[in-house]
Amino acid sequence: MANGKLDGGQLAILNARFEGVARKMSNTLLRTGRSGVLNRARDFSCCIVTGSGSLLSAADSLPIHVLSGPEIMARTMTEYHPELRRGDAFLHNSPYHGCSHPADHTLLVPVIDDAGCHRFTVLAKAHQADIGNSAPTTYYGAARDVYHEGALIFPAVKLQSGGEFNQDLIRMCRLRIRVPEQWYGDLLAMVGSARIGEQGILALGEEYGWETLEQFAEEWFDYSERRMISALEQLPSDRVEGRSVHDPLPGVVEHEIPVNVSIEVDAAAGRVRVDLTDNVDCLPCGLNVSEACARTSAMIGVFNSIDHSVPKNAGSFRRIEIRIRKGSAVGGAVHPYSCSVSTTNVSDRIANAVQTALASLRDGSGMAEAGASIPASHGVISGRDPRTGEAFVNQVFLGSSGGGASPHADGRFHYSHAGNAGMGYIDSVELAEQYQPIRIHSRGLVPDTEGPGRKRGAPSKRVEFGPVGCAIEVAYVTDGCINASQGVRGGSAGGAARQHLRKADGSLAELPTSGVVTLGPDERIVAITGGGGGYGDPRKRDAREVRDDVREGWISAERAQEIYGQRIAGDEAGERGRDTL
Amino acid sequence: MRLATDTGGTFTDLIVEDDEAGLSLYKAATTTRDPIQGVLDVLALAARDRGCSLEALLRDSDTFIHGTTHALNAVITGNTARTALLTTRGHRDILVFRGGGRRGPFDHTAGYPAPYVPRHLTFEVEERLADDGSVVVPFSDASVLDAIRAMGEAGVEAVAVCLLWSVVNPMHELRVGALLEQHLPGIPYTLSSQLNPVLREYRRASAASLDASLKPIMARYIGELADRLEGSGFRGRVQILTSLGGLKNADEAASAPVQLLMSGPSMAPVAGRYYAGRDGEQENLIVTDSGGTTYDVSLVHRGEIPKTRETWIGREFDGHITGLPSIDVKSIGAGGGSVAWVDEGGVLHVGPQSQGADPGPACYGRAGGEATFTDAAVVLGYIDPDFFLGGRFALDSAAATRVVEDRVARPLGIDVAAAAASIVSVATENMVQAILDITVERGVDPASSTLVGGGGAAGLNAFGIARRLGCRRLVFPEVGAALSTGGAIVSDLTAQFSRALTISTRDFDRELVNGALRDLEKSCLEFAANSKSSSQRTSISYSVEARYKNQVWEIEIPLRGGDFPGASDLAEFASDFHANHERIFAISDPDSPIEIQTWLASVRCRLRDEGDPDVGCLRADGQSPQTATTRRICLLDGSVEQLPVLPFHGLEAGVYTEGPAMVETPFTSIVIDRDAVFSRSAGDNLVVELR
Repeated sequence: MANGKLDGGQLAILNARFEGVARKMSNTLLRTGRSGVLNRARDFSCCIVTGSGSLLSAADSLPIHVLSGPEIMARTMTEYHPELRRGDAFLHNSPYHGCSHPADHTLLVPVIDDAGCHRFTVLAKAHQADIGNSAPTTYYGAARDVYHEGALIFPAVKLQSGGEFNQDLIRMCRLRIRVPEQWYGDLLAMVGSARIGEQGILALGEEYGWETLEQFAEEWFDYSERRMISALEQLPSDRVEGRSVHDPLPGVVEHEIPVNVSIEVDAAAGRVRVDLTDNVDCLPCGLNVSEACARTSAMIGVFNSIDHSVPKNAGSFRRIEIRIRKGSAVGGAVHPYSCSVSTTNVSDRIANAVQTALASLRDGSGMAEAGASIPASHGVISGRDPRTGEAFVNQVFLGSSGGGASPHADGRFHYSHAGNAGMGYIDSVELAEQYQPIRIHSRGLVPDTEGPGRKRGAPSKRVEFGPVGCAIEVAYVTDGCINASQGVRGGSAGGAARQHLRKADGSLAELPTSGVVTLGPDERIVAITGGGGGYGDPRKRDAREVRDDVREGWISAERAQEIYGQRIAGDEAGERGRDTL
Repeated sequence: MRLATDTGGTFTDLIVEDDEAGLSLYKAATTTRDPIQGVLDVLALAARDRGCSLEALLRDSDTFIHGTTHALNAVITGNTARTALLTTRGHRDILVFRGGGRRGPFDHTAGYPAPYVPRHLTFEVEERLADDGSVVVPFSDASVLDAIRAMGEAGVEAVAVCLLWSVVNPMHELRVGALLEQHLPGIPYTLSSQLNPVLREYRRASAASLDASLKPIMARYIGELADRLEGSGFRGRVQILTSLGGLKNADEAASAPVQLLMSGPSMAPVAGRYYAGRDGEQENLIVTDSGGTTYDVSLVHRGEIPKTRETWIGREFDGHITGLPSIDVKSIGAGGGSVAWVDEGGVLHVGPQSQGADPGPACYGRAGGEATFTDAAVVLGYIDPDFFLGGRFALDSAAATRVVEDRVARPLGIDVAAAAASIVSVATENMVQAILDITVERGVDPASSTLVGGGGAAGLNAFGIARRLGCRRLVFPEVGAALSTGGAIVSDLTAQFSRALTISTRDFDRELVNGALRDLEKSCLEFAANSKSSSQRTSISYSVEARYKNQVWEIEIPLRGGDFPGASDLAEFASDFHANHERIFAISDPDSPIEIQTWLASVRCRLRDEGDPDVGCLRADGQSPQTATTRRICLLDGSVEQLPVLPFHGLEAGVYTEGPAMVETPFTSIVIDRDAVFSRSAGDNLVVELR
């Protein structure tokens, strides 16, 4: 096969083989992870990059984890460790060297052939329940810098040789990371996942020969690039500006943080350029965006706006040029500025700015803004469980923000944020209560908070929860309280986010948009998440869809009339059989 | 005599087992509008073949076993009862939110899937329990009576009930049940804690909603089936195939119809184990069922048939999860009708679109120009156009060549034979990935397993699949063309009972555990007594769903016995768990406590005694090919050869022949490539050994 080109059938088969390896890695990590953020919420990704460091396959991954970053991390590994051997494994979480943010511990295993040659690298990237920050949170918005943040930073540090752990590192982590047994169990899960990926690729190499696999990678990249060109050719050539604004972080950053993008689509050449250079300098807080996340978010905005079947790998990426300014909070974050919250807040604003700008090109492209992160219902909670006497720390996923509308579909009820796109799971009430001393008193969608449009954004959620028999700490960094998710092409904004404390006497007090809150045994959080923006004129929404929304209680009959221009009679709203699949 | 029928999407299959042993296989078209008619049709066909009346055939039969897609079709088409859901106040959106997750992050062409029960038919009950089952908010009868009034006005026909923590304390759900019986008499309902006692409220609510919505339609269907059989002279027992790969008496089956959603496909591994087992092959099998539109994969692992709680009706994330243990069958949209197409970047795809049975592949002569897997097989010579389905149906091989040329060869710039070979390779790889998905999850090594090829299309590429997986043995059971029905005729009455009880190995409460196991045993014995099964024919096996501390996804571990009397049993269990975890996930953590979440007992009532004769072999009939011929065939390596085509019934048992060759039966053609030998086995299977 190594002679001549592979045909379309051979390409399809080898692609399925690599995707199969990545899926097998993911399944292992999900089933064996110990912390809820991994095994209940699926906040992890597994991917394969070539020996020279190009992203090849990332089946089932979270977009923000993988589009850009794995290639920089793999190159960091080879730069710092030119001599790679089978059995090596590296721990990497440095946002200054290609990782998304420090909480995304990544295990890299180089796949070394029998002759000692480095052929591919497999990565298992998993958001940790804790990483030893100075506060019990993996998203430290108020961190002045990396020292205040307190994260242990691993720039591709060798963790295993010959398949054995460097116990010095394990002992160090055990002394610095909260609930060390949980961390160690998660680490074992990542090692299992990466080793299963390594075995899968070694078997592929044995079967096909390494030259054929490398030839496949190159030809698959060329194919993906051709698909990307075809997709970009569908857009009109133009230059558009986009802007999306992050809320201030009271007490830390008192002003709004705008994200400006300038996009040039050259349809004839099949290229798109996203310029992120016109943005603020690094900020003394945890909101700075790492290079990996800025590049990835720009790509998310582009891929959300074109034919979704274009493969996402180094081949299609050749057609997206992203410009970043070093020293900028939007992708140019430098040490020691903190990137603690790099995967969500400002980063999501990049994707939103890109996809709303692309929506301005013509009806049928782009998307509205997705609801913002990280509400208290997705916060990191910690404390001591009175049922067992043991300490716990974990990010919960009790209720997420809603998705923005596309030209073709309403926003998804569960989306989390632009970088996750609803790939993660939702905590079961019963499992959340079993694993942590909390009670979820209620959670549900909030009527009349959808971003109106021809296709509407998803409504906000309201989640009320609190500790049971103890005090707990809840850490969160929410955006979208002032700057709700915008609609496009005549669509409007979704509901704003808001966080409250329900005191022991039952009264409600508004909480700041970011912080670490201590809840007493009789206190609760009432979190309102962001709704998604709408796409197109709501008065052009299909009458049947408006009726369904009223019947199901997403919007009121008054709103249907006022905003959608549809009069819905009371009995009409109540009547209808079940939908078919 | 015993009769087993299975109503599939295209054909209704029947296997008749005669009293003096020996099987006969019949196929008739499925009659979608009135599926029971198709059953009566195939029975009439058998009666005619035997020269007797339908009445005589039924009168002489003591057991009628039935598998049906009726429940599945009802859910897929929305043709179920108008169903309401009652849940805990504050949690009305359980079915709206689902469990999260999606198939891919960039596809914004489809919206969020609709809940199985719409929100306007979901009602809240004022009550709340804590995780230990204690009452946080007292139960309010008034809130249920309000809901009952609203449900009555909405014309609700079935009710599902899922309250938080009902698994730990069913008291509140039971009270809802009592109020429903009193105030909505005659309306069927399902309590989640009775149907599916596991944690995760979404899965319980989904299972209960599916179950309730099927109760009216399945009670009608099963009742009518029994009536019409009786009207035609049948006096024996009617038994229905369940998702658990066993049988239930008709009335029991109708009482939990969610367990009928996989009625049929769940029988494939039962068949694989039985028929391959005749040749001593029953340890590790990969059982495949290759039809016109779907390709089903299931396993036999160490002699056991694995079960899963991850069965989705529809696609994963978009469909509805049953959440109940069911035989693990992975189904992908790949089959004879799968469409081959080349995308704008020049890469070949096979499926997921399908031409189905109608219009079917281009070679059926009535299609609109799409190239399919079957067309590729015709081009390669794998299917004899003049002897398809025993010659009852002539194929248009020129049309097959034309579409493969137009749709695949020209866009790829290769010749038509190479294009056809590529189509088969890509289809093969899609099927291989489905097999890898299920074997990976189970920690099964395909290379040390035997591949069982079932279904009408199995012979076309089962050899290629076995080669690709590194399997050394490939078995085509004689009843392979009706694999599920073949399983039905040899299956047993089974039921499974479970109990949610979290116990850690760190503080293992023997008394509590043994009490739970004794309760489960009692349920099993009651089932056996109700089934009138003698104790010699009844066996009970125990297993648990367990995980390391803080994990949330359990793996199933068989228990060595039915209790924990003391001494070394706990250490033995722990070592079983660590070994299984290591096998499946490449790691184990011997220092971590193990948490057992669910206790399971399965009861099996054998319908035949150990010493009873085997069901026997399929009788050769007049339509079987009789004489050997030759045909030009394109092999996997691209070479074209004039190969012998041998009728299966003409093969002498136990004599090995060298590949490559073709073997034909009345229902299927089997391609055997190079570097392999094959024979008709003592168990009447076609056995292929790959080198």
